[in-house]
Amino acid sequence: MVDIEKIEKRTVRSFYEDGLFEIALGAVFLLLGGYFFAQAAAPEGSTLQDVLSILFVFVIGSSAFLASRILRFFKRRITYPRTGYVAFKKKDSGPGKRVATAVVAGIIGASLAALYSLSPSVRVLLPALNGLLLAVAVLFFANKIGLVRFFVLAGLSAAIGFAVTAAGIGDIKGVSLYYGLFGAAVALSGLATLVVYLRRSPRPAAEAPEGPDAR
Amino acid sequence: MPADVRLLADLDKVIHEPARLALTAILSVVESADFLYLQRETGLTKGNLSSHLAKLEEAGYASIEKTYRGRVPLTLVRLTDAGAAAYKAYRARFKRFLEKT
Repeated sequence: MVDIEKIEKRTVRSFYEDGLFEIALGAVFLLLGGYFFAQAAAPEGSTLQDVLSILFVFVIGSSAFLASRILRFFKRRITYPRTGYVAFKKKDSGPGKRVATAVVAGIIGASLAALYSLSPSVRVLLPALNGLLLAVAVLFFANKIGLVRFFVLAGLSAAIGFAVTAAGIGDIKGVSLYYGLFGAAVALSGLATLVVYLRRSPRPAAEAPEGPDAR
Repeated sequence: MPADVRLLADLDKVIHEPARLALTAILSVVESADFLYLQRETGLTKGNLSSHLAKLEEAGYASIEKTYRGRVPLTLVRLTDAGAAAYKAYRARFKRFLEKT
């Protein structure tokens, strides 16, 4: 008997089988790591630090935009010629869901900002908190699509965050190190997946036209 | 006729065939997919896939668009609104049948 749910899930999972999504995501985290490193390196209270703070939203937005463009480019060059073209449905989340997401993001952001403004002794927890938050997000995602390597990445996120905090590298420098390490881990996971994908899925030789009219 | 048998008898025959069921299940979660992707995901031969797609198109459940990406011919398949509705109804009916038996 055909297991419909299994087929639907496998179809959604096929988007991640080439590892390109992880490479792009890893690149975004590495970029974030670089951004936080620049902020940590800028002299306290300097104009550069102010400018960097203002640029935060821009850095997040532009890196996500760039990552999606690069992802699309490589999908076209690597994936579609090998395993075929597929466009997934864009989820149209309702206004209620969007408001809930914004509220949750706002609470997390405000909590982190409040924590940051407290005292240097509390700021040392920032890498662990970032690691934990991302671990929860990755865990939800892993559970939804059912790919084991994302469960491993979720565990790795928490482990890296706690390790950086335990090493006493807190504050922004620690956050920068956390994003750098986690970004590298995600990108490496993607690269390994890509290598396996390329071995398993060679480019098919050019053949006669396809489809129902080709018979 | 018993209710569970009636449920089974009323299943959409176009979708109920295993290969077409797999195809509609795949197409139900994507916007569109090309011939190569569908062939790889279903494991069907080109001839089989073509014939099942033609049946889905004939029933008005799938639309097939012949296009080009650069100079490479591309066959894009998508589920029509009627196809999506039929698949949703089939899924619900089949689930009910499984619960009753």
